[in-house]
Amino acid sequence: MQKSFCSLLKKDLQMMISGKFFLLALGSLILYTLFINLGYVNFMKAPGYGVYMYVPQGVSYPEVFSDKIEVVQSEQELYDCLSEDTNGIGIMYKGKEPEFVLYYGSNTIDNHRIAYAQSLLKEKEFEDPIVVGKNTTEEKQRKEMSCELLFIEIIAVGFLGIASILFKEKQMGVMRVYGITPAPKAFFILSKLLVFLISDLIFAALLTIFNVRSSEAFHILPRVLLQTGILSLIMALIGMCCSLLLKDFKQFSLAYLVVALFISAPVFLSANTSAQNSWIKWHPFYHLYMGMKNAFFDFQSEGIVYFLLCLCSIFLLFWFVKMAFMRELSKEG
Amino acid sequence: MGGIFYQLKAVRKDKMCIMSFFLPVVLAILLTAIGGVDLSSLEEVNFAVCKQDFTPEDIEWLKTYGIVHIYETEDDVIAKINDPATNILGVQKTGNSIKVLVSGDELELFKEIASSLPAIYDQRGDTNDIEVEVLPQPNFIANYKYVFIAVILIIAMFMGCVFNAMNMVSEKEEGVVFINEILPMTKKQYMLQKIFIGFIFGCLSSILTVCFSLRLALKYIPVMLLLIVLSAFISALVGMLIGKLADGILIGITYVKISMIIFIAVPLISYLLHLGETTVGKLCYLIPSTATFEGIMGMVNGNTTEVEKSIVIMTLHSILWFVLFLTIERKKENS
Repeated sequence: MQKSFCSLLKKDLQMMISGKFFLLALGSLILYTLFINLGYVNFMKAPGYGVYMYVPQGVSYPEVFSDKIEVVQSEQELYDCLSEDTNGIGIMYKGKEPEFVLYYGSNTIDNHRIAYAQSLLKEKEFEDPIVVGKNTTEEKQRKEMSCELLFIEIIAVGFLGIASILFKEKQMGVMRVYGITPAPKAFFILSKLLVFLISDLIFAALLTIFNVRSSEAFHILPRVLLQTGILSLIMALIGMCCSLLLKDFKQFSLAYLVVALFISAPVFLSANTSAQNSWIKWHPFYHLYMGMKNAFFDFQSEGIVYFLLCLCSIFLLFWFVKMAFMRELSKEG
Repeated sequence: MGGIFYQLKAVRKDKMCIMSFFLPVVLAILLTAIGGVDLSSLEEVNFAVCKQDFTPEDIEWLKTYGIVHIYETEDDVIAKINDPATNILGVQKTGNSIKVLVSGDELELFKEIASSLPAIYDQRGDTNDIEVEVLPQPNFIANYKYVFIAVILIIAMFMGCVFNAMNMVSEKEEGVVFINEILPMTKKQYMLQKIFIGFIFGCLSSILTVCFSLRLALKYIPVMLLLIVLSAFISALVGMLIGKLADGILIGITYVKISMIIFIAVPLISYLLHLGETTVGKLCYLIPSTATFEGIMGMVNGNTTEVEKSIVIMTLHSILWFVLFLTIERKKENS
């Protein structure tokens, strides 16, 4: 029994190597690491508001003001500065009182920008806010992007990988051969799950270590690996399900498009912005994504109900895949 | 001609192929439909306060600067501040002044807002009669929308690449490539048929996407068509190259994935970071989609010089890619 499982495992591993699955994973890992280290961390910046002031000659104005205010030489220059920095605020002294000029953002943001410029004009002292979190801006960006890319990699590429292998096996007639071997049928599914699980876990560990890059990487790793394991098993089972039920790889690509675009897009939008849709709570992938994100940020744990539900869905999917597999075997004769 | 007819017949039976060509069109329709949705709440600042700390007047004051979320306990407030999904700022009241709590991982802008808030609270009585000139701005979402449309158009134009690559790889996997060898058809005819299919469908998909998503000035319509034709031609060639290089469906997907990421990311980063005139910005034009992207944005903003520049660059690219393709073909034939 153990021997047949090992040989199945070996066969699946060889299929993955010949299908260049590991090359694809390595390529993705390099691409993502380069993107995070050279691109995302350097480009995602939002500086504070620029404040520009113009005082015509002969007009009296407060001599003392914050050095954050940039004095410009003409009215035109002030408008030019604002058109380049549309978040900025212009202060113009036409009479005794200053006039504030700004591009419309939103009512509340505009109120704040005006009050901000006023406080700079009065040289009010700003006090540093109290920090209650433990991440710096860069750490947050690294964790956020690593989490998103890991999620995409597992739901998109892992899903695709298992399908390409199953379709190849279907084509090669491996299913038919398997139907007459004495090994338990569940082994066929289990060996594939195990190979994909291990490769996803290695991918997750490397992505985390290369990109989170602080001493915290090893601290968060167990939770990240747990979430990766859950997601990997679910996606591999869904991938197997689709590829057993669908006729060929092209039909499968349709299902893949739906997963990659229409399932993951609302999850990312809801999880990363304050635009909350009430229905998103019913989206199972939202919870899986949040589980992953909370693991990366070492944020509140998910609780026993979440893990029980994951376990139940894995068993349910496994049972479903087994049924589909038996159907396929009987079809193959 | 008969060959092209058979290629078209194969496309008709291929749902995946039809879907991939229609995908950008569907995205363009969706984007036009959600264009009316107000996403301005994304630009707002969010504050978290503890219920017993603040009087209703203070909360009203805070509401003039952002959205206020009220929580029962201090722990809830801190949990919300640390929530990685949001940039929420916590506000505490101590005596007659306020203190702001941040998680420390916010972008510079939010840190600046947080540090300015106590000073603004101190001066809350003085903001009565101030003169403000608010300049109208094409709203942020409208600008984003055009960037999205340009990206979707690039996807549409370069769909021919995906189609040609996947089509050739699956022909290799299914053994059709061996049947092609014994058919009375020259290599040149076969290549022309393949380029033609990817090219025509890339063009059609882009034209439909433009119809659904852009309202262009009349003078730009022929230029847009030219840009579409050039981009679709290059993408069909790139697709053929990928199809030739890849020997399995997975490796084909990897190549397509990498080229799509490069085609989308390079022009987007160059545009968003205003790299245009710098050396890096000029180097970005080595990727054909940068010229397409800048051309589309030029048309949207009425910048004719930019449009002319992108057409010239795309023509050069078309010649270069065609020469590259022919050289690789000849080398393969010789070997």
